[in-house]
Formats: sequence, structure tokens, C-alpha cells
Amino acid sequence: MRQAWRIARRELRGGLRGFWTFLICLALGVAAIAAVGSAARGIEAGLSRDAAALLGGDAEAEFTYRFATDVERGWLEEIAEEVSEIVDFRSMAVVTRGGEAERALTQVKAVDGGYPLYGEVVLAPQMPLAQALAGVGDLPGAVMEAALIDRLGLEVGDTLALGTQDFVLMARIEREPDNAGGGFSLGPRTIVATLALAGSGLLAEGTLFETQYRMRLPEGANLTALKAEAAERFESTGLRWRDSSNGAPGLGRFVDRMRSFLVLVGLAGLAVGGVGVSAAVRAYLASKTEVIATLKTLGAEGRVIFAAYLMQIGLLSLVGITAGLILGAGLPLIFAPLIEARLPLPAVFAIYPAPLLEAALYGALTALIFTLWPLARSEEIRAAALFRGMDGPSRTLPRPVYLCVIALLCAALIGAATLLSGVPELTLWAAAGILGALVLLVGAGWLVRRLSARMAKSRALRGRTALRLAFGAVGGPGGEAASVVLSLGLGLTVLAAVGQIDANLRGAIARDLPEVAPSYFVVDIQSDQLPGFMERVEGDAGVSRVDTAPMLRGIITSINGQPARDVAGPHWVLRGDRGVTYSAAPTEQTKITAGEWWPEGYSGPPQISFASEEAEEMGLSLGDEMTVNILGRDITGTITSFREVDFSTAGIGFILSMNPGALAGAPHSHIATIYAEEEAEGAIARDLAQSYPNITTIRVRDAVERVAEIVGGLAAAITYGAAATLLTGVVVLIGAAAAGERQRVFEAALLKTVGAVRGQILGYFALRSLLLGLAAGVVAVFAGALAGWAVTVFVMEGTYRFEPVSAVLVIGGGIGATILTGLVFALRPLAARPARALRARE
Amino acid sequence: MSETALDLKDVCLSLDGNAGRVEILRDLTLQVERGETVGLVGPSGSGKSSLLMVMGGLERATSGQVSALGRDLSAAGEDALARFRRTHMGVVFQSFHLIGTMTALENVATPLELAGHRDAFDRALQELEAVGLRDRADHYPKQMSGGEQQRVALARAAAPRPDILLADEPTGNLDGTTGAMIMDLLFDLRERHGSTLVLVTHAPELAARCDRVIRLVDGRIDAAGGGA
Ligand SMILES: Nc1ncnc2c1ncn2[C@@H]1O[C@H](COP(=O)(O)OP(=O)(O)OP(=O)(O)O)[C@@H](O)[C@H]1O
Ligand SMILES: [Mg+2]
Repeated sequence: MRQAWRIARRELRGGLRGFWTFLICLALGVAAIAAVGSAARGIEAGLSRDAAALLGGDAEAEFTYRFATDVERGWLEEIAEEVSEIVDFRSMAVVTRGGEAERALTQVKAVDGGYPLYGEVVLAPQMPLAQALAGVGDLPGAVMEAALIDRLGLEVGDTLALGTQDFVLMARIEREPDNAGGGFSLGPRTIVATLALAGSGLLAEGTLFETQYRMRLPEGANLTALKAEAAERFESTGLRWRDSSNGAPGLGRFVDRMRSFLVLVGLAGLAVGGVGVSAAVRAYLASKTEVIATLKTLGAEGRVIFAAYLMQIGLLSLVGITAGLILGAGLPLIFAPLIEARLPLPAVFAIYPAPLLEAALYGALTALIFTLWPLARSEEIRAAALFRGMDGPSRTLPRPVYLCVIALLCAALIGAATLLSGVPELTLWAAAGILGALVLLVGAGWLVRRLSARMAKSRALRGRTALRLAFGAVGGPGGEAASVVLSLGLGLTVLAAVGQIDANLRGAIARDLPEVAPSYFVVDIQSDQLPGFMERVEGDAGVSRVDTAPMLRGIITSINGQPARDVAGPHWVLRGDRGVTYSAAPTEQTKITAGEWWPEGYSGPPQISFASEEAEEMGLSLGDEMTVNILGRDITGTITSFREVDFSTAGIGFILSMNPGALAGAPHSHIATIYAEEEAEGAIARDLAQSYPNITTIRVRDAVERVAEIVGGLAAAITYGAAATLLTGVVVLIGAAAAGERQRVFEAALLKTVGAVRGQILGYFALRSLLLGLAAGVVAVFAGALAGWAVTVFVMEGTYRFEPVSAVLVIGGGIGATILTGLVFALRPLAARPARALRARE
Repeated sequence: MSETALDLKDVCLSLDGNAGRVEILRDLTLQVERGETVGLVGPSGSGKSSLLMVMGGLERATSGQVSALGRDLSAAGEDALARFRRTHMGVVFQSFHLIGTMTALENVATPLELAGHRDAFDRALQELEAVGLRDRADHYPKQMSGGEQQRVALARAAAPRPDILLADEPTGNLDGTTGAMIMDLLFDLRERHGSTLVLVTHAPELAARCDRVIRLVDGRIDAAGGGA
């Protein structure tokens, strides 16, 4: 070991020159993972720091379509120091100007005097929320998000209506403490006082709204115990409990998901870097063949030499990983103000050791895996290499010991990623994908070399010197084909996969859905408004179809007398409340798969028709008894039929339908879907709003766009991650080009000597780059499409369609990158005087 | 057409080395007639290789005039020089300098191809045959011995039937027997094509085979050593 260390130290005296590809590749990969991890940790810390403000209280109880009963409210007030009631619902904000009405969908939050318990609502112009909501004169006040104010062309001081109640716009909402991340809402926010809605007709029984009771709890309150008590006493009545221990569980999960995805992309980047690392080590060892052979002549054993070079590479890895960690930890800190300004989430940017350790672990394992292979070969260099030209070791596999170690390290890397990512299954798939891509690319590299060698010899190319030279260079011995195709190809594969998935997602949302989806989704139609509503829409020539259904919410509490969860497990249908409807006869679209619909005019004990797919998943059968709690009342019915329910077309679909008699008397409203031609849409929405100010029409196209926007944002984040991977690929590419530059200077000199003009030499270099770029691009598109197909079909359960635009961009990018680097590194060879280049090789 | 193959007047060459400017060739004037063989000798570092490079247009003289076959090389552009070499000059180096990514046949065919000969490959095969390497045509340089590589290099230089052959210690890296064989081949080729030959060598007996020997010392022609 001593000996090895002494050799290593002497060898490293030359400094880090020639190792920059190695260092950059490793550092970039580690930095990307460290940065993603650190940023995610920062956001998690921010979420937990501001948990109470984000939630709006230390704890919250939420109900659907109703206010808390006196019993419920009594309990909440008993356990809390202060309770604040919020009502949340969608509505239309209407502005009338000179007889013309302008309307926009908005998510209304109606608050009491206690709101907000934590944090502060910031308004512009600045004023306390209470003052703003008090309004001017007899008119109550409203505050709105800028997007909505702009959309309606409002100014502060203007009047607008929600339902039948007029409000004065008092200010713009700059910050809403309990709206971080926004969650998913279709319309921008309006805040008003709940009391002001009394005359609006918007909170009538049966309309769709949610109430939230935020609590300020005494110091040291036992959240776990309170949660358990809430569950025990009120779960069956639909009380949903949340507390600041998981204040924004959705957000936290979302951030965690994003982190996992980006870390996976980062790992792909590290694999690309690994290829560069491997190429750099191979080139370094090749340049050391003479030294190694000399050392062997002097009596050094293979072991000592292996150890000496392992130490050198180890030290270099340490430098690269450290640089990556500094970069990865530093970037989020440096850009903290920028990120915070754009992020709708609180974040505490600091140095977090855990993600840095994770990144370092990945980096070290990758460096080891990718250097062991070439290093193992150093043992095989024989002293005779000195005398038989500097051939380097022959192309054989490393000894089995090394292969085993490499396999173990791979397993360790994948194992660590699986454990740490939080999405084990996806990680395993991604690892399989990366390995598959690597194998595919190695195969492609080999094929490209073989084909090129074949082409170079083909008679067809005789006379086309530049082409023949290019094929010869790619196919000949010592070409850079393998490492360029591998590294650039892997980088492009990740980009191609992301591109394919992204394009498919957007395509599916933006294109496929609206063809079958309705134009409008209408909610809160009161029973007495239904006939008028139907008359208006059915009489419209532009409307092809209208579906309506009564809409209630219910919680399935028990099945056959047993608690539902004990019978059917944690199925999503049992999580919280579900839409429930009733109908005398099956609709035209209904397809009954088993059993029979209740007879016309049936008035016996309640009967239930259940969605067939979900029934199967939950293990239900005909004749089962099911108890549903609707607005606090238990209704028990018998399942007498199953029917198909398709949720994919955005039409009306209810898991649970009952005979009308079963639900008679329960207050409710109706929902409707209108299928109309686009030209007719505007007039329908206008007329409906005019006649029925309380009902809300949601334009499906807008909703779809909103979803597409959110998906687009996610895709953009992941595309940035993929771009980082590609950057590593380009670094490897530049490294390969730079390493090959001396060789090219020499080749250019020789070609000039035998009579080639510069144009021919340039053509040759460009063609050579083009061949490699094309190969990398084509393989990447193939592998990317494969990955895209797998993700689209299996993860997102959609249908896959090959997206040519993204594919062309990827191939073009590959060719562009190789040609650009190829040409940049051709400048010196072209300019060099042949005499000097040749002399340097004497 | 001029009877002078190579005509150098007051040629100076200085290069910027690490230790400042080095004067390598100083006021060299010399002529080589068509068909003549000239041996270039002198101590190591005296500038023999540099002179050869200047003659081949591979290095540009700092001052003075260099012309080959009546054509002024000092004024020609880089590409013009390359085109000139294609048809009129063959160069052989001490360390062979074959293109590693090309087979022997491809190496020999390249100058012919660049010169636009349709039958480049057939002619290249003949040239390989002439140096006795027809059966190694598909081998890469790495798969051949030094002597074989140099024979390929000879075939490559001779393939376009150049008027001028420049050889820089072509046997310097080879053992005696192989070296002798290469030399025989070289003189043989020259004889057959009637080329002008400038041969740099350290071996007196090789120099003696030439029509004339020029001795360089410190970048100048050593008058004492000249003649023959
Ligand atoms: N690029 C360069 N920059 C500076 N000096 C150089 C350069 N190339 C060669 N020289 C110097 O020019 C001188 C002549 O070199 P040259 O190679 O022509 O000598 P030579 O006579 O061929 O020697 P040898 O017999 O050893 O091959 C030497 O002193 C050498 O150090
Ligand atoms: Mg020399």
C-alpha cells in the first residue's frame, strides 16, 4: 500500500490537467442531485415551519355541502381556544356595464371575523381585511386576486355581483396565508364576509360548498389524541380532520414526488457522467501505458499498480464530489431570493446534510462503478507493451472478481436509490430503463462501428474521400464512437423520453378529451330552477345533448352491518364522501352489467345501483347491504344492480345511485352537463347566469386548459432536469472531442501532406461528427419512445402516440451538438502547419 | 519546363520555441536537378528535417524563395500547396505516419483519391504489390510491423508517381536488414519513375548511394562536406 501511495502521489504531481472531463462530469451529476435534494428539503422545512398558517389553524375540521351541526361545533369550541368558520365554493362573479354583463368563474372564500387565525392577508391598497370586507355604505366589500380583476376589467371601487348580492371591490389580494401552492382551483380567489352572503342565494341547502372550521388550540394540545377523538365521534358524519402535523399533506406529497422524479433524472445524469468518467479514466490509463509497463519492468506487481491508480482516481473523485456538493448546496442558497419570489410555497433555504450525503453516496458509487472497469485492465498491461508498440491492454473482460464487485456496486447504487427515493417501484423501473438504455447504446455504438467499417470499405464510397474517411474514422480502431454514442445518446434518451411523455400528456389533455367532453359543467341548479333550465338549453339548436342529475354527497359507512373499511379495505371510494344521485329509470347511456334496476314507481326499501368496476375491486356482490350517511342521516339500502360508469369523458358519473324514494326529502341541487357547439356556448352561459344568478357554469375547455397549464409546469421542471442530463452528455462530448484534438491535428497534417485541401478535411471532420450525432440521436429517440410508451401506458394509463416533433428535435440536437463540438475542435487541426504536427509525433 | 526540381534561394527559417526564437535554417541556397538524388546529412539538430519540410511546403520559410518544378511555393496558399503535393510530391517519414483508422490499402489509395483518380484503389493495390504487401492490404497499421508500415508509407508516397520524393530517415526506426530492404525499395521506385529524391540520413553508406551529398551544420550548408 505504501508503495502504491508513493506511486500515486508522484503521478498526481502533474496536477489535475487532463482530468477536467472527469471532474465536471462527476461534479455536475452530484450537484444536480444535491441541489434538487436541498431545495426539496428547504421547501419541506418551509412547509412545516408555516404549517399552521398554511392550514389556517393548528387544526381544521372540514365538511362538505353543510355547516357543522351544533353538536359538532360544540365539540370544536370545547377543544379550541378560538374557532374560525370558512365557507369555500365556486361561483360566478358578474359585472354589469351598460347592460352588458361580464362574468368569470371564481373560487369564493367566505370568512368570519376570526379569519385568518394565523398569518396575514396582504391587500393592495393596504388595509386590514376586516375593513375591506366591511365595504362602503350598505354594500359589503370583496377582495379578489389580480387575475380575476384583470379578467373582469375591474377597478377598485367598482361593483360586482355574486349570486344576487352586490359587492364593492375594495382591494387586490397580494397574499393569502392559507393558499400556498393554491391547490387545484379552477378559478381565481374572491374573499367576502360570510354574513354578506345571506342575501345572495348561494349557500342554500343542497348547493355545493365546503365549510372549514379552523382552530387555535391551547399550547401543548395533543393533536394525535384529538384526531383520534374526532375520528371516533364524527367520522361517520363526514367530519374530515387535518392538523398542522400534516398541514398541507397534498403539498408535501407533491414536493416529495417532484423531488423523487428529479432525483431519478439526476441519477440518469450521473450515469451519463459515469460514461464520461469511464472514458476519461480509459484515456488517462492509455496515456500511462508506458509508465505502467515501465513500472512492471521494474518489478511492480499488478496489485500495486491497480491500487496506485485506484488511489489517484479516488482522490480525484473526492475532488469532483466535493465540488459537486458545494455547487449543489450553494446554488439553492445563491438563488434563494429568486426561487422564493417565484415559488408559491414557503421555503427555508439552508445547508441540509441528508440530501448532500445522498448525493455524495450516489456520486461515489457511480465513480467507482465506472472507473473499475478500465482500472481493472491496468493490471493486464504487460511489460512487453513497451516493446510491442503502445497498444494498451487487449479488449478482454476484466477478471471475474472485478465484474462481481462492479455488479455489487450497481446493486448497492440501485438499492440506495430505491430506499431513498420514496418511490421504490418507479426507481426500479427507472434503473431498469437506464440499464436498458446503456445496453442498447453500447450495442448501437458497436453496430455503428461495424457498419461504418463496412461502409468505409464499400466500393460505392471510393472516390468520395471525405465520406470514406469519416466512416473509416468511426469504424476504425481507437475511434471515439462508443463513448460519444453512449454519453450523448443517454443524455438525449432522457430528453427524448421526457419529450415524448410531455407531448403525450399535453396531447391527451388538450386534444382527446374535448372531443367527447361536454362544453359546460353546471352546478347548483335548484330543483325549482330545473324546468326553466332545461327549457332554455334543450330549445337551443346548438345543443346536442344535456344530462342532468340530482347531486348529493354521502359517506359509505358500513357494508352488511360491518364497518365499510373492514370489509372492502382502504379503497378510494371509502375515503371521504362521494357523489350520490337518484333516478327513477336508468338513463340512455346506462349499461347494466348485473342485476336489475328498480321498477318504475318503486317505493319500497332503498335500493342501490353501484359502479361495476369499483364494486369488483371492493368485493361487493348483489344483495349486499350498504349504509350511506347523507347530511348526517344514515340510509341503508340493498345493492340490486351494477352498472358501467366511465369517468374518462368528463360526463356525469356517479358511483352510487338510489331509487328516488330513498333520498326523498334530503335537500339537494342538480348538476348538468351541456354538450353544445362552440358558437352557442357564449349565449347559453350568458342567459343562464342572467336567469339564475346562483348557479355556476364551468367551461370545460377552460378547466382543461387549467389542467394542461399545471401539467405543463410540471413537465417544464422535469425538462430542466433532463436538460441538465444532456449538459453532462455535452461535457462528455466536448471531453471526447478535446481528447481527440491532438489526434486530429496529426491526421489533418498527414492528409495535407498527401494532398488534401482544407475543405476536404473539414468535410471529413463534419461528416464524422454527423455520423456519431445521428447514431446517438436515432438510438435516443428509439429508447426515449420506448420509455415514453411504458410511462404513458403503464404509469398514466393513457394511450401512447409517437410524437415526431420532439423526436426530430432530439435527433437534430444530437447532430447539432456533435457537429458544433466537432467543428470547434477542428479549427486548430485545420490551422496547424503540417510540419509541426508531424514533428510532434516523431 | 524547368530542369530544376527544387530551387531554394536565401532561405531562412526561424521558429519560436519555448526558449525564445531559434534560427534553424540560415540563408540556404541550393538547387536540385530533375532526376537527381541528393543525400542530406549532418549532425542531429542541424536542420535536416526542417529543410525537407520547407522543400515539401509543409513548413513555410521565414524568408527567401522556395520553388519546386518552377513553381513558387513560398507564395502559394495552404490549399494550393496541398494540391501541388497531391500530384508532384511524395513524403516518407522516419516514424511512418500512416493514418491509424485506415487499412494499408486505404492509406495508399488516399492521395490517388484526393487527386481524383477513378481507379485509385486498383492502383493502390498495384503499389502495395510492388512493395510486396498485397496480402496485407486490409490490415490496419497497428497490425503490422515497423518495416511493413514503412513499406506501406513508401507505396503511399510513390503511388501518385510524384516528380519529387522526400524521405526523412526512412530507416531510422528499423533494424539493419529491414532498413536495407526499405532503401532498396526506395531507390528502386525512384529509378522506375525517374523521380527526384532528397534523402535525409545519418548513414554514410546510404548517402554514398546518392548522386550528391549535402552536409548541413547549424542550419548552413557545410562547404567542406559538399560535393561528390
Ligand atoms: N517547433 C520548433 N520550435 C523551435 N525549435 C524547433 C522546432 N522544431 C525543431 N526545432 C529545432 O530546430 C532544430 C533543427 O531541427 P531538425 O529536426 O530540423 O534537425 P535534424 O537535423 O532533423 O535533427 P535529427 O537528425 O535529430 O533529426 C533543432 O535544434 C530543433 O530543436
Ligand atoms: Mg530529423
